[in-house]
Amino acid sequence: MKAAAARAVMILTTRCLGKTRHQWARAMQIEFEAAAAEGKQLPFAIGCFIAACREIPAHREGRLSLANHVLALGFLVPMAAAQFLYAGSLPYSADVHGMLGPAGTQNPYLAGAQLAAVPSLLFLWFTLGAAHLRLAWVVLERDWSRAFNMSAMIVAGTATLAIYTGVLFLDDARLILHAAAIAVELVAVSAAARWHGISATVLPEELAR
Amino acid sequence: MPRNRRPSKQMVLLLEALAARSQHWHHGYELMKETGLKSGTLYPLLMRMTDQGFVEAEWREPSQPGRPARHAYRLTAAGIALARDTAAPQDTLFSLKVSLA
Repeated sequence: MKAAAARAVMILTTRCLGKTRHQWARAMQIEFEAAAAEGKQLPFAIGCFIAACREIPAHREGRLSLANHVLALGFLVPMAAAQFLYAGSLPYSADVHGMLGPAGTQNPYLAGAQLAAVPSLLFLWFTLGAAHLRLAWVVLERDWSRAFNMSAMIVAGTATLAIYTGVLFLDDARLILHAAAIAVELVAVSAAARWHGISATVLPEELAR
Repeated sequence: MPRNRRPSKQMVLLLEALAARSQHWHHGYELMKETGLKSGTLYPLLMRMTDQGFVEAEWREPSQPGRPARHAYRLTAAGIALARDTAAPQDTLFSLKVSLA
């Protein structure tokens, strides 16, 4: 158990050190065997992992990886969670009735149409949430062409949502906030992709050193 | 690359261990035992000192056959000079040992 945990920590260490420090990762792996022979593999592995974590911001690839994780876990996943929460609470809370604008409350036919649109709205919100999760995943995988496709899909989904709520005279102020957050998010994804493009040209030079 | 900052206590320990036998190649685990530094302190120091040109690292064939090559470290001329400068104000005897090594 202890040996398996230590080996798992060493694998994580190798991942954290990345391509620029792969020689050091190999060196640590070999010394790990020496530590294991003396039964000190776990403290050694934890130490190496700490060393690798300390190295992450020191090299370009590590900084890029850190930025990707911050973007994905700190921004895209919470956005997805917010959309799921919003969609999940939509049918049960007073939100739908709150969304009905003055025109809707005065016109029972329009109010009926608005309430009938709730399933489609739910579908749109859930799709946006799922698209955000997928976007977070492809950002972590650094698959930028898919990231741009997902971003385009999110923009299309948000536009559809905006048009739909507009046509139905729904008064949803959160959609404006949501659109603003998506604009920030897309700028961040685009910046990360640009940074990755620059790094891809610099990394071989770093590796050659 | 010139180093203007005063070396840390851990770096001094590592410099002492490497300078004690400056022509000898040292392994990471052996250095941990000699200096009492944890792997989480030793490896970042070795990486930094290698980047700064104070330590050279090389893959060395093991003494026992069938074992993988090990990464080994020793001080460069700049590293020996740094070890001497670091030791000089504190320990003249150590400085002398470095010069002799």
